[in-house]
Amino acid sequence: MEKPIATNAKPTAPHVPKGKVRMESLTQIRKIILTILMSGFALLMIMPFIWMISTSFKSPADVFTYPIQWIPSSLNWEHHIKVWSGADTFATYYLNSLKISLISTIGAVFLSAFAAYGFARIQFKGRETLFLIYLSMMMVPPQVLFVPKFLMFEWVGIYNTHWALILPGMFTIFGVFMLRQFFLSVPSEISEAAFIDGAGHLRIFFRLILPLAKPALATLAIIDFSWHWNDYENALVFLIDKDLYTVPLGLQNFILENNVDYNGMMAAATAGIIPMIIVFLVGQHYIIQGVAGSAVKG
Amino acid sequence: MHKSWMKRQSRLGYLFIGPNMIGVLLFFIIPAVYSFYLMFTDYKFMSPETHFVGLDNIRRMLNDDLFGVALRNTFVFLLAVPVSMGLAFIVAVALNKSVYWQKTLRALYFMPYITSGVAIAFVWMLLFQPTSGPINGFLRGIGIANPPGWLSTTEWSMYAIDIIWIWFMLGYNMIIYLAALQEIPEELVEAAKIDGARPWQTIRQVIWPLVSPTTFLLLITGLIMTIKNFGIIQAITQGGPGNSTTVLSLFIYQNAFRYYEMGYAAAISWALFAIIMVFTVMQWLGQKRWVHY
Repeated sequence: MEKPIATNAKPTAPHVPKGKVRMESLTQIRKIILTILMSGFALLMIMPFIWMISTSFKSPADVFTYPIQWIPSSLNWEHHIKVWSGADTFATYYLNSLKISLISTIGAVFLSAFAAYGFARIQFKGRETLFLIYLSMMMVPPQVLFVPKFLMFEWVGIYNTHWALILPGMFTIFGVFMLRQFFLSVPSEISEAAFIDGAGHLRIFFRLILPLAKPALATLAIIDFSWHWNDYENALVFLIDKDLYTVPLGLQNFILENNVDYNGMMAAATAGIIPMIIVFLVGQHYIIQGVAGSAVKG
Repeated sequence: MHKSWMKRQSRLGYLFIGPNMIGVLLFFIIPAVYSFYLMFTDYKFMSPETHFVGLDNIRRMLNDDLFGVALRNTFVFLLAVPVSMGLAFIVAVALNKSVYWQKTLRALYFMPYITSGVAIAFVWMLLFQPTSGPINGFLRGIGIANPPGWLSTTEWSMYAIDIIWIWFMLGYNMIIYLAALQEIPEELVEAAKIDGARPWQTIRQVIWPLVSPTTFLLLITGLIMTIKNFGIIQAITQGGPGNSTTVLSLFIYQNAFRYYEMGYAAAISWALFAIIMVFTVMQWLGQKRWVHY
């Protein structure tokens, strides 16, 4: 799919006519022009982020100077310090988000893998019906579920606690689908050989399938983690106390309380975005693969 | 022996899906059923009594002017989906082969999609600032004397949200298109070239038809994804100014958790479900007929 650049620019063999050489350099020029164009457009795409970061270091007077000051005249760290200190600090929000996202993700990956193996590899009564019910649940918009979940959590006493996000977060129908797809693609000869050796499903699952599925599990983990980290809607509905706030809620809270401090707002937004950018840079390959795979094959 | 083997298999099957199924039952199926019941009641949070009101909520919805406004805003919101797809297709074709730094560029385009919706909402809020924001600064710079008021005006606010959403979804659409483009056999494109097709013709007559299943899939899933979303709008405008950015999904949230009209909110949420259902059926039928694989 991706060719190293060198093969495209390879010098032509001696017997190739001159016209072909000209064609090659023509495509080369076209490639350079296209690269410049696409880079320009890409720069436009990430402009909001660049503006955000640069504004977070500006002095208040420079926020809206035009033409845009991309590089602040002096580095003002005070806005970032404000975000990370004080009563409602981003350190708390980070810890809350990290706790919720990590526990939810670990639970979701494990529970999805288990169920996906059941759906993909074991013949049992009612499997197709159950799978159809799972399928139909994907159509139900979150709005349908908010009110009943709110009432349920109130009743059980986990409303306005992290459990209200963690417990439902451990169950992802998307995860079951994605991993089922993957398990179906593992050749059945592998487990048949193990069956003959006397291994049961549990053993095959833990010893054979899970190790094989590592890339798929990593993909699901990264995608799921980013969902939990960015999840604003659930936190909005189920959390009230400020010390329980996750990063998106904390961000909203900061902006409500500092709505004229534009530099502070951008420092807060930067704090909200940086972790996902790091996760993305580290797990880029998995994220892109997972997103592409789930849509095209699913 | 065979029968007992089947039984054992069934038990094992339930053992494997059991843990997940408990959660799906608790957090999806039971709430969905309960919400269906709430639709026929006048349940208000903290109110002493709840009555069964039959179809009153649905009748109320159909006569509610705000519901109409929310529905219209939702359709304007959905316009972002095809626009974002169109741009994504162009980017994907350009990035597919004939460009340097493929990987880096791909990552840059994809970046908005993985970032927190709330954070970018606030960045765009400032970018769209009507009197001195950078976007209007630029528009004035190129000679537009009276640029739009964007998020602060009722006639532009929904389009401003569209712009943000187009930007947000572009990377996602591009990745899916790229995956589809890489499935296209090299020979087909080569053959078109040998037949003397210009790049534009190749794209229109060879590539575009070949990715039509992807286009269809992206359109439907994009519409579903968009129609469910309200986080970005809640964060930027809370549905204002006026009700100019109140989309259906936000309208449900407001009714449930601002006015505590939970029975009514349940009814509207099932209307939302009905729309999603239509898209899903279209996707299902489309897989069979409309799209040629």
